[in-house]
Amino acid sequence: MPPRSLLDVDDLTPEELVGVLDRAVAFRDVLPPRDLLAGVPVLNLFFEASTRTATSFTLAEQRVGADVISFAPGASSLGKGETIADTALTLRGIGVRVIVVRHPESGFARRLADAFDGHVVNAGDGTHAHPTQALLDLMTLRNEFGRFAGLKIAIVGDILHSRVARSNIVGMRALGIDVTLVGPATLLPDAFAAPGLRIERSLDDVLPHVDAVMMLRIQRERIAGGLLPSLEDYTQRYQLNRARLRALRHDAVILHPGPYNRGVELTDDVLDDPRSRYVAQVHNGVFVRMAVLDLLVNGAPVVA
Amino acid sequence: MRTLIRGGRVLDPSQGLDANRDVLIENGFVVQLGEHLDAGDARVVDAGGAIVAPGFVDMHVHLREPGQTHKETIATGTAAAVAGGFTAVACMPNTDPALDSAAIVSEVMRRADAAGLARVYPVGAITKNRAGRELAPYHLLADAGCVAFSDDGSTPRDARVLRNAARYAAELPHAFISHCEDPDLKGDAVMNEGAASVRLGLEGSPGLAEDVIVARDLLIAESAGKAWHIAHVSTATSLDLIRWARSRGVRVTCEVTPHHLVFLDDRFDDYRADTKVNPPLRAEHDREALRAAVLDGTIDVFATDHAPHGLDEKAQLLSVAPVGFTGLEIAVGAYALALPELPVARFVELLSVNPARILGIPGGTLAIGSVGDVTVFADRAWTVDARLFRSKGKNTPFDGMTLPRRALATIVEGSVVFEHGRVLPREEIPV
Repeated sequence: MPPRSLLDVDDLTPEELVGVLDRAVAFRDVLPPRDLLAGVPVLNLFFEASTRTATSFTLAEQRVGADVISFAPGASSLGKGETIADTALTLRGIGVRVIVVRHPESGFARRLADAFDGHVVNAGDGTHAHPTQALLDLMTLRNEFGRFAGLKIAIVGDILHSRVARSNIVGMRALGIDVTLVGPATLLPDAFAAPGLRIERSLDDVLPHVDAVMMLRIQRERIAGGLLPSLEDYTQRYQLNRARLRALRHDAVILHPGPYNRGVELTDDVLDDPRSRYVAQVHNGVFVRMAVLDLLVNGAPVVA
Repeated sequence: MRTLIRGGRVLDPSQGLDANRDVLIENGFVVQLGEHLDAGDARVVDAGGAIVAPGFVDMHVHLREPGQTHKETIATGTAAAVAGGFTAVACMPNTDPALDSAAIVSEVMRRADAAGLARVYPVGAITKNRAGRELAPYHLLADAGCVAFSDDGSTPRDARVLRNAARYAAELPHAFISHCEDPDLKGDAVMNEGAASVRLGLEGSPGLAEDVIVARDLLIAESAGKAWHIAHVSTATSLDLIRWARSRGVRVTCEVTPHHLVFLDDRFDDYRADTKVNPPLRAEHDREALRAAVLDGTIDVFATDHAPHGLDEKAQLLSVAPVGFTGLEIAVGAYALALPELPVARFVELLSVNPARILGIPGGTLAIGSVGDVTVFADRAWTVDARLFRSKGKNTPFDGMTLPRRALATIVEGSVVFEHGRVLPREEIPV
């Protein structure tokens, strides 16, 4: 039984996860007929601004033939729990069967899914989870290395505020990837430490030993929030730049969930580097989202 | 008016009494303790097989009146109190308006009298409107009936204000009660900081937020020579600080809630606010330290922090849902569940003798001539159904759990206000 909703990567068993990636690769190789979700009403409900994710989901929904509705209410509306339940009832009554939701508060997708008699796809909830981003990252990695077990991956930067990091940690650990988190203690508290999950404070110590490095976006508000002294101080220790690129293995790859801040977590040299996979990531995102919608609505694929 | 509590095991730590006795109350006062007393025309409470103790006092409840009567009223809150075995409660000043003037305190006491159930002892604010800036009028509040002072729910951010408050009120016997959470370290936290908050992507409040304010307040207590009470202790370090302060001669007492003794910070996976509370439910090593501190005597008082809210309010998103839940009607069972090895005499000390002594109120004893406030309870298992609460707050993490102990009867000033599962109005005492 596939899950009813995708709130985080661990809603999928490792087998289902690999199945989604297989399906996404198949869709990338040959676009399926536009009838996988023919006539299924899918609502994109984005309480938080999004360009890449919203566009990617919309294209994925259109490519599987869904009836797409998009709505971007302010974050303050639908704030109350009672209203979550009412909204869920109303939307189901109208006929919506799938809600793709993004919200600035951690757990919103879960609260909506608990009230909604249909499928919910979490397109990002606060600092909690962003499972389709993690799936597209995993798809990119598998495309590169052909395997997961034993891969060594570093995730670098503002782990504390990153839903991308959290979902990747969940997925990567389930697949046997060796994950190292890198960042200052204010953005990477010791409480993240867990079996099979290392915490390092020095990027230079880690870079030569990894198969892939994922650079997270650093937001200026962390300075006003008293978590970072300055971008200069941060970049001195954690920026991926020309000098540090030399320490990265030739067969390693660089991932970034975007949007990136040039000159902060990475420099132009990184984006020009042949090891950068940013474009492959966003390209894979559409097929991963098609595969997720297909799995949730239609169930397990028919084995050919 | 005479009331005879017959056939029970009288457990009164205030006089070292643990024996089968009948208790006779006449016109509001205990007049006789003895075997096989003659009932005469007295109202008889059958306490066979049960324990008869001096009335329980919950020194930390929120009655929400004035200002938030959709959450609770003095009438519903005191009905919940007597149904839970409490003969008296101390109500916190975070009402709207706050309990920072004699007029409002008098009005609360008038409404409590009208309700005619548990005794209500207001806790006055430390600062006006609990804003942490100007001192509240302690002598006027004391004259109006306040038994302690607290800005509960928050702490004066400015240590100078708190120091001056403690110095100004130093000659009053009324304790200052501290809700210890540093607002800056706490931030917008909705739960404890730790492995769970990090995994769930929720902002956590570290135990440090409590510890630094406990340390600050104990040092202010010492310098001002003021009696101090630390509310709802939740961390192991707070307990160490309290022990350290006592070793220096600081007059400090402290309390623990049932929920901090029972639950951990592992209940947020559904992102519901049912266990959102200040201070937050902590990790295992803190809970174990709290249990040990009850057993070793560091903790003086059981107090529930009864904090009723509407179910619709608690159903909001975690970020906006209010903190706290009800406690009065589960307390007796919940504490017994948390600490099955605690001697019953100590249980009575923590629920009756000690809070009455700290607040300087009548009760906490069944000695001849003392006030006729009595709690009858027994080790009888029951299952919590929050829908049946007298409190307007139907929210508790104990809902659905089976608890090993319960109150059977509650007697206030000789009047049976709770018996056989029913709440009864207090009888008039003839003048």
